[in-house]
Amino acid sequence: MTKAPFANPGWAGNTGDFELTESEIRGSDFVGERPKSGGHASGAGAMPFMFRRREPDSEIFRGEYLERIEKVVSRYPDKRAALLAALSIVQEIRGHVGHADMREVAELLDLPTAHVRGVATFYTMYNKRPVGLNLVQVCTNISCSLMGADEVFRGFLDHIGVQPGETSDDGEFTVVEAECLAACGFATCVQINSRYYENVSADDIPDIVAHLRSGGGE
Amino acid sequence: MAYPYVSERETRVISRGFGDPMQRVLDIYVQRGGYGALRKALGLSPGEVIEEVKRSGLRGRGGAGFPTGLKWSFMPKEPRREHYLLCNADESEPGTFKDRELMRWDPHQLIEGCLIAAHAIRSSHVYIYCRGEFFEANQILARALEDAYAGGFAGDDIMGSGRSIDVTVVQGAGAYICGEETGLMSSLEGKRGLPRVKPPFPAAVGAFGAPSTINNVETLAAVPHIVSNGGDWYRQWGTERSPGTKLFCVSGHVNRPGNYELPLGFPLQELIDDVCGGIPGGKALKAVIPGGSSVPLIDAADTRACALDYEGCLEVGTMLGCASVIVMDESADVVKQVRRMAEFYAHESCGQCTPCREGAAWTVRILRRIEAGRGTMEDIDTLMEITQGMVGTTICVLSDSVAAPVQSSIEKFRDEYLSLIRPEHRVGAA
Repeated sequence: MTKAPFANPGWAGNTGDFELTESEIRGSDFVGERPKSGGHASGAGAMPFMFRRREPDSEIFRGEYLERIEKVVSRYPDKRAALLAALSIVQEIRGHVGHADMREVAELLDLPTAHVRGVATFYTMYNKRPVGLNLVQVCTNISCSLMGADEVFRGFLDHIGVQPGETSDDGEFTVVEAECLAACGFATCVQINSRYYENVSADDIPDIVAHLRSGGGE
Repeated sequence: MAYPYVSERETRVISRGFGDPMQRVLDIYVQRGGYGALRKALGLSPGEVIEEVKRSGLRGRGGAGFPTGLKWSFMPKEPRREHYLLCNADESEPGTFKDRELMRWDPHQLIEGCLIAAHAIRSSHVYIYCRGEFFEANQILARALEDAYAGGFAGDDIMGSGRSIDVTVVQGAGAYICGEETGLMSSLEGKRGLPRVKPPFPAAVGAFGAPSTINNVETLAAVPHIVSNGGDWYRQWGTERSPGTKLFCVSGHVNRPGNYELPLGFPLQELIDDVCGGIPGGKALKAVIPGGSSVPLIDAADTRACALDYEGCLEVGTMLGCASVIVMDESADVVKQVRRMAEFYAHESCGQCTPCREGAAWTVRILRRIEAGRGTMEDIDTLMEITQGMVGTTICVLSDSVAAPVQSSIEKFRDEYLSLIRPEHRVGAA
């Protein structure tokens, strides 16, 4: 059983009424380590793409990543359909999707750069500029708002000492409001990089932030 | 197993695997009878599968409630080119959190439902379009799908039947509009998720220009049970026109929020009081949104009269939607919550249609002004006027979804708006 390192372990069943472990609920052991090449082609397009670790300068579509995008392309009648998967790989490596990388994606998939930029700017999850190592997205939509999400959002800003959308001086945190994360029964839901922290209350914030600051986030 | 909350009032058909991590394991799923429905379906003709689903009366669980079997029957019987089954797993309607649970607890149930539906519509490729934020659930699904391929339940010559069906997990990147069926198709094709004008309907021209059927996760999850047990079996629950069970996602001011599977027609008041343990602190109920943020909100009196099925919700002036029940007690600030929902729609509007793009933005500005105590009586009339122009005037119904909470809240909770308007601003107004 995974021992939670902080008071709010950040999964849905943490209200004290449940017997399951974090791994059992989140399925982490079941999923196991997935190769960067994406594993079986059927699921190669479904890899998390927001991490603490960033590579600002490396080549993107190389080795395992190239292998993955080729698998994704093989599942569709045309190459353009792999565009979201390609942009996701960019963000997985860089932490955001910049203009130079958009051009590379355009070349890779034989698409006009304008099309790639249009798509990249349409989808909220693609960060158009660099963000903190921990991107804290607090849902403040109705169900979370009813359960105190505004205090949670304010709490993250105050505790870290940033304004909405701003990155902290140490480069660790960017805090933004998010739209509904579809975890409404586990309010307040906060997405931090690739994982959900559920049932978060303002009291949990110091522990969560300390945990992230020590490099404990994903 | 006590996760999530369960109630003895529940009828667990599609949620029977919730809270049991072993349900994800292929061998266990098969031991428990899993993929038996697929085997049975592959022994039937596509037409026979469609008939069984028609008999069950299953209606689409994504919000619109369109009869599933009928939708399937629109697909070409003699395909001239590859056509597709699309599974809508882009769950993002505020208040809705059922598909993520279905995917992460019982991924094989969804995969099996997809394969059966693909067989029924004579498709050999299924795309499951998953919400980008659902990294956890998407990986569980991808992992389970890999197992299904290895076990011979997906891919070439499924279970020796000679039938080959591929399944691909697709991941979005954060856009509510991609949950709209044609927006989803645009996104799947690697474009901005812009909805398209209908007709042509997806069954004629869908993804990649080919005929396509699109079903919600919950709809497809019910399919294996219907095929195994028969359409009549499914009809033992629910009402004549809304048969079967449905997941109700309850959030907001209740003691035990969560997903509860109940027969359609279940009384809303009993859902709140019995199943969810009532309102914390014994507070009074103020308002309920029974179907997600896109449907009109109702007051306490309507809540007492509301039966949770497609027709029962219409009777009290709202809609079942995707059965996302948002409960607000007496402490809730209706104007603030409506403003928050309007902000959501303004952010998520794709911007194609002027009534939606401009209407949502202005609605937000006016609501913020009222909330800040700077509103006038005229503002309330303007809100009604703007939102009336947003209904039925656009390519998709996102625009209508702004109007629902704004208009219903002004109708039912006008006093809350008035209390925010300073006396000197009330002079001379209608």
